Amino acid sequence: MAENAVPRETVLALRDAIARLERDRPSGSCLPSLETEGERAGFSASGRSLPGQDVTRQEDVLPLGVPALDHAMSGGLPLKGLSEIRVAETRDAGAATGFTLGLAALCQARRKARGELGPILWISETMAGQEAGEPYGVGLSLLGIDLRAALFSRPRNLQQALWIAEAALGFSVFSAVILEIRGNPARLGLPESRRLQLRSMGSGVPIFLLRQAGEEEASSAHLRLLVRPAPAAPFMLPDGTMLTTGIGHPAFHVIAEKTRAFSPVDAYLEWSSHARRFHPLDPVAVPLPANAADPVTVLSASVGRPGGAPTLGRVMAFKRAS
Amino acid sequence: MRIVALDSVADRLRLKRGQGVAEARAMHPQLDVLPADPAADQAFLSALADWCDRYTPLVAYAGADGLALDITGCTHLHGGEKALLDDVLSRLFQLGVEARGAIAASPGLAWALARFSTARLSDDSVIEAGEEAAALGPLPVTALRLPETLTDTLIRLGLTHVADLMEAPRAALARRFGPLVFLRLDQALGHDDEPLSPRRPVAELSVERRLISPVSGEDDILGLALQLATGLKTTLEERGEGGRQFELLLFRVDGKVFRLLAGTSSPLRDPQRIAALYKERLAAVHDDLDAGFGFEILRLCVLKTEPIKSVQDDFSGRPDQSRALADFTDRVIARFGEDVLSIAVLAASYIPERAASLQPAGDAVFPAGKMLQAEEWPVMPVRPLRLLTHPERVEVPAADVPDGAPERFFWRRTAYRVARAEGPERIAAEWWIDGEDAPTRDYFRIEDETGRRFWMFRNGLFQRERMHPDWFMHGIFA
Repeated sequence: MAENAVPRETVLALRDAIARLERDRPSGSCLPSLETEGERAGFSASGRSLPGQDVTRQEDVLPLGVPALDHAMSGGLPLKGLSEIRVAETRDAGAATGFTLGLAALCQARRKARGELGPILWISETMAGQEAGEPYGVGLSLLGIDLRAALFSRPRNLQQALWIAEAALGFSVFSAVILEIRGNPARLGLPESRRLQLRSMGSGVPIFLLRQAGEEEASSAHLRLLVRPAPAAPFMLPDGTMLTTGIGHPAFHVIAEKTRAFSPVDAYLEWSSHARRFHPLDPVAVPLPANAADPVTVLSASVGRPGGAPTLGRVMAFKRAS
Repeated sequence: MRIVALDSVADRLRLKRGQGVAEARAMHPQLDVLPADPAADQAFLSALADWCDRYTPLVAYAGADGLALDITGCTHLHGGEKALLDDVLSRLFQLGVEARGAIAASPGLAWALARFSTARLSDDSVIEAGEEAAALGPLPVTALRLPETLTDTLIRLGLTHVADLMEAPRAALARRFGPLVFLRLDQALGHDDEPLSPRRPVAELSVERRLISPVSGEDDILGLALQLATGLKTTLEERGEGGRQFELLLFRVDGKVFRLLAGTSSPLRDPQRIAALYKERLAAVHDDLDAGFGFEILRLCVLKTEPIKSVQDDFSGRPDQSRALADFTDRVIARFGEDVLSIAVLAASYIPERAASLQPAGDAVFPAGKMLQAEEWPVMPVRPLRLLTHPERVEVPAADVPDGAPERFFWRRTAYRVARAEGPERIAAEWWIDGEDAPTRDYFRIEDETGRRFWMFRNGLFQRERMHPDWFMHGIFA
């Protein structure tokens, strides 16, 4: 007996999916390689990259202007989909907030350049606001957020927060949605993050999951960044002299924990609220604390390099932390 | 214990209000006595008033035991005055409510007739114009809504019926009893005007559907709401307005009425969006909305309208931005309430917690008018990204100099070493609000060894305002 004929559309759709998978880079590889000047100018030597592909890639990512991170994130922050930004401790929430809002400001600026309003929606769980402080309008405005296009939401529980986030992702007017939660709630597991991911892919509104004091756990986010506070560069006076006692632009130590790259990448960067962009920060230039008793004890963050013998295999998904 | 209310059976037994319960029991041992519950009575009356909304939007309380309905201009919808009264009384009878009613040109006369008319019900309970005096005359003076002491005096003087008052010389009686007696009389006769004050503001517009078979499903209700909203659209367009506040009334078969309010952030007349609003509302009240045997009447009212500017769509094909945003705001607010979404509003104040506040976004998402921007401040201050709702106490064991920045501090049971500090930024109290002896705050921007940046202040000037001023954590920088 003949088998049921698979509809032609299904076969075509499957073929298309396979072709897309194969065209996509295998996991672990970063950008194809650093391009030569000629390639960048449009003279493709091997014909490897089609001009159209590059254009779409440029539209879907937001380059941060920090080569190390951009390289690990294959060009920049993905503008479609869920990106997780976490801090290990509540007291570091300031750094993560600043970094996330910097990203949101970049997204907003991008929309504004197209002549749109580009509102930002910041959904903050009640506990998150109580523990780390409520959003402060003056500070946000000084960081470069347009308050005339910023909505703040304080839902009563996580379920409401997820509903609002999902609803917002259905409206492509938003330039970015920030969902701030505390810890690793059981209500926000793989299925929920997958829903957010798919919604965001559909509408093209990036969603940043800002996780305060949370462990790393399996989620559908393509990208997970761990943000740590970093000492700011000295304050620069308008005439160019450095004021060593002053505190300069907000600085962050960003570790890309989950990317397509093999090993985690980290970078120091600072946000210039005047230019409204990130700058790479040379960690050497970050002055060691003046009154630290023993500067040698302060170790640089060892990233992805545990002291013992490396375990075999690769962690594909973490256990649920909640 | 005394009797406050009687049912019709007890009335026929010639019991009286105000009589002692013991006395009544002695007369009729089989008497059934229930304790009075004025609050429950009031709740029941209010539910009945809701139910009466089906006849007219102008329903007012008439004392603690009655309702007055202004049916001006409504009677033709129900087939005339008589038919309307019969409909009210028969429906109430089916609901198990023993009610009496009368229709008259003045609320006072209707009140009197409904309570004191000796004629059988539905005989002559509709008083035509010109028959007021004849109808009111034979009633007792208690029908005039006068204070009890006044009524007693009148009865003792032999003025037992209203007709006696009508014939009596006015000047002498008014001198003795005050103006109230004749005011009430004139009001009942329609010589003097007496406005009814409806319980609820009258809706600007409303449309309703009466159903032959009741509906109970959420989808049916939504479909009907969409139809009703479509019915509103033409009128709103003619008026050049859109609704800012809508109310959907669901009349349940057994007389209970549900009211679902929904506000919008911008004037709205698109039926689809109004229906979408109610989709969220219904989802939000899902558990409280007991459909029972179904709803028989649905009414959509517009409580508040505002002029709408008609905007032509452009050719870009992009959806209108502000409309999409308003749509999102309305949906979220309809579902979770008004305090869920807010916008940051800046104010001209140097006190940090007064300089910015989060205010509900409901009214207008982003006000078209000018909003204060931080760049417009005379000096660009340094301000944190997040502000703690209440400044938290910080223990500072050591400072460089008594009025300088701290070197070490404890916050939330953790020790921090200060690597760098900027400050002080001295912010004096707003004496016109806080009083003259409110302490001055010295704000420091502090970076600890790992690079966390905090905003702390010393509450009071050292040794001038406070002997040993306390330190507080107020904000967190990026």
